[in-house]
Amino acid sequence: MVSFKPSDEEAAFIHVAKNFAREFIRPAARETEKNRQVSENIVKKLKEAGMNNLELPESFGGLELPVLSQVQILEELAYGDLDIVQGLPGAGEAGSFIRKREEHPAFDSYKKACQTGGIPTIAFCHPNQPKLTISRHHDSYIIDGETVPLRMGKFADFVLLLGKEQNGEDVIIWLENGSDTSFKALDGDYRLGLLSAGFACLSFQSVTVSKKSVIACGSEAGQLASLAMSRIRIMEAAKEVGVISGALDYTVEYTASRKAFGSEIAKFQGVSFNVAQMAIHVKGARHLALYAAKQIDEGTSEAVFHSIQALKNVHRAIRFVTDSAVQLLGGHGYVQDHPVEKWMRDGQAQVAWLEQEHDLNAYAGDWLVNKAEGGKADDLLRTVSTTNPS
Amino acid sequence: MISYELSPQQTQVRDVVHWFAANEIRPISLIADEQKKVPDDWLQKVNQMGISLSMSSFGEKKSESKKQKNHERQGNRLGVIASEELGWGDCAVALTLPGPGLGGPPIQHSGTKEQKERFLSIFSREEEPKWGAYALTEPEAGSDVSGLQTTAVKVDGGYILNGQKIFITNGKRASWVVAFATVDKTIGRAGHRAFVVEKGTPGFSCTRLADKMGLRASETAELVFEDCFVPDENLLGGEEAYQNKESRSGGFRVAMKTFDSTRPIIAAMATGIARAAYEYTLDFTQKELPRHGTHYRQASQLLAEMQEKIQVARLLTWESAWKGDLGKPNAQEAAMCKAYAGKIALEVTSASLEIMGPYGLKDNLVEKLYRDAKIYDIFEGTNQIQQLIIARHLYEPYGLRV
Repeated sequence: MVSFKPSDEEAAFIHVAKNFAREFIRPAARETEKNRQVSENIVKKLKEAGMNNLELPESFGGLELPVLSQVQILEELAYGDLDIVQGLPGAGEAGSFIRKREEHPAFDSYKKACQTGGIPTIAFCHPNQPKLTISRHHDSYIIDGETVPLRMGKFADFVLLLGKEQNGEDVIIWLENGSDTSFKALDGDYRLGLLSAGFACLSFQSVTVSKKSVIACGSEAGQLASLAMSRIRIMEAAKEVGVISGALDYTVEYTASRKAFGSEIAKFQGVSFNVAQMAIHVKGARHLALYAAKQIDEGTSEAVFHSIQALKNVHRAIRFVTDSAVQLLGGHGYVQDHPVEKWMRDGQAQVAWLEQEHDLNAYAGDWLVNKAEGGKADDLLRTVSTTNPS
Repeated sequence: MISYELSPQQTQVRDVVHWFAANEIRPISLIADEQKKVPDDWLQKVNQMGISLSMSSFGEKKSESKKQKNHERQGNRLGVIASEELGWGDCAVALTLPGPGLGGPPIQHSGTKEQKERFLSIFSREEEPKWGAYALTEPEAGSDVSGLQTTAVKVDGGYILNGQKIFITNGKRASWVVAFATVDKTIGRAGHRAFVVEKGTPGFSCTRLADKMGLRASETAELVFEDCFVPDENLLGGEEAYQNKESRSGGFRVAMKTFDSTRPIIAAMATGIARAAYEYTLDFTQKELPRHGTHYRQASQLLAEMQEKIQVARLLTWESAWKGDLGKPNAQEAAMCKAYAGKIALEVTSASLEIMGPYGLKDNLVEKLYRDAKIYDIFEGTNQIQQLIIARHLYEPYGLRV
């Protein structure tokens, strides 16, 4: 039966996350951005609230929640501040890969660290790396070059690398920043947004990776990447929904009290209609994220497509809604007395760092046109996760 | 629990209505558009099949609702699921299906027991096809329904109506019309009343059927009331419904509450139109376009955008219907789905024509869908009115009326 009511458990999570976002995250947003790192206090409090480790398997000390639950929690947390959510230490995107391969021996040391209470930070290196090469030499791989800016690259203890070796085969590699597989975070001048999220390029100088650090290769890597990337996309989409939901509420409140020409500016249709359009974007983006999350949890063959669709939709929504928020606050929106200018900057950084709207749309289009001709879902998953759009 | 899985009944309704749309509606779609009329013999046939258009309690009979009173109602969800399929088939033909149509919801939720029995029981497969209609819009009162000019003067035993209504779907063929009039223009909404005016009532006539850009097979009537006497028993809800203070704007509320039920239905039809265009164009792209080059890539990306819009429209509509089924206020959601679906129906059909280029000009279903789609951004409240409603709900917590 079609229903939009969260389960009692989800409602309880939402309640906790909502309160946490309002009590701890939102008030700390500016200070966190200034410090360019999330404070230990917030990390500690989030852990106390039991929401620091949603995706990892229980064997890693995680909550191992369904994506549908995570989506609703992440939206609430990001309502407080996206930058802080993106700057939280931990497994990050790699958590979805670990979740699908929790028994892989390469993750043993990470698992032990998690079980003892610390959750080391992993940077996820996605496939779009024009300056990075992966070459195979017998049973080992050599990684050479420099990544694009990666979220949490600056603070990473580990890297999970999803890429293609030079002969075109997919490969997923696990790297610990040790003596033999070292990588180095490069300093950079970051000013746009998500400034606490530890963006950094990672440098690899002919790093040799042994077979035991290879999580998967070939078609197995493609399938794993598809599953994990679908989850990642939806969680990123949910965070963006949180931002636009916050921006909408803030704009409504501001325009309800701000007066011009002798009246609250909300009474001018140029304002109120823009706000109505923002609300439609928020609701639509939320629906797509929830729908895709449900498809993933149910393991449907169209789950990957819906994850692409949801992220692409909210990429557009976050641009429109955060820009509208700044616009409707006028000059007050542009200065840092209000948070909307930060949300606009964070939003623009968010749509740029992982998968971009035009790529997602190209993937989705390829899938739609080719699906009806007998292409299997796995083909799509591989295409989406590991290749550039045609 | 959040779920997008159709219940067995919802699945059955979708499948049956889709079969009907594909096998009965689509074959007459372009003919009906050309003739600006749904063939009478077709209407006779579908009426005998027991198929009718009701905008309220779709698929749920009252007796079933009573039996299942401990279960969740799903009439609104069934309605939008079925309406998407009807819109996919042909929205003009769908709006011409026999039944109470848009006139059903006001009688259903505001009529007396006797009125429900009298006006809603006339639709039978055993008899000739019949229609109901909903007459609100006037030449000088479109979006601003509170400014309606049709007057109702109380006389012994009833009211005398004078005025004009325009853009009334099925207004000429309808056995009765729910018509709105004011008993006192100076008191605004408080003066509004809703009447059920029966066909053949002296002073009630149809003066014109409008020619339109699209939706040509659907009858769009202009109605005139000239010293038209309507008995007391045809005042919707009866006199007592307008007596107490809380009900002083009862007529206006009837009109607005009707929209909470009908806007999701209209949104679902718009979604169906968009889906029809999308499916047609996907098939065209796969069969007709060379599998390479810029045009092919652009077509596939446009298709992705179209599909995304359709999915958003459907989910917004379902949510609105779901809230309606739970008995929760859904005016904001109804406005949202109507605003969004009405808008994207045109965008999607337009994008389809862009992909097909000159092929879209000749022997092409989508050009008709494009012409049909535009009205979905206008009737049942324009896009701008929907935005106004959404904004009003957003600012309501701040005590601000926009």
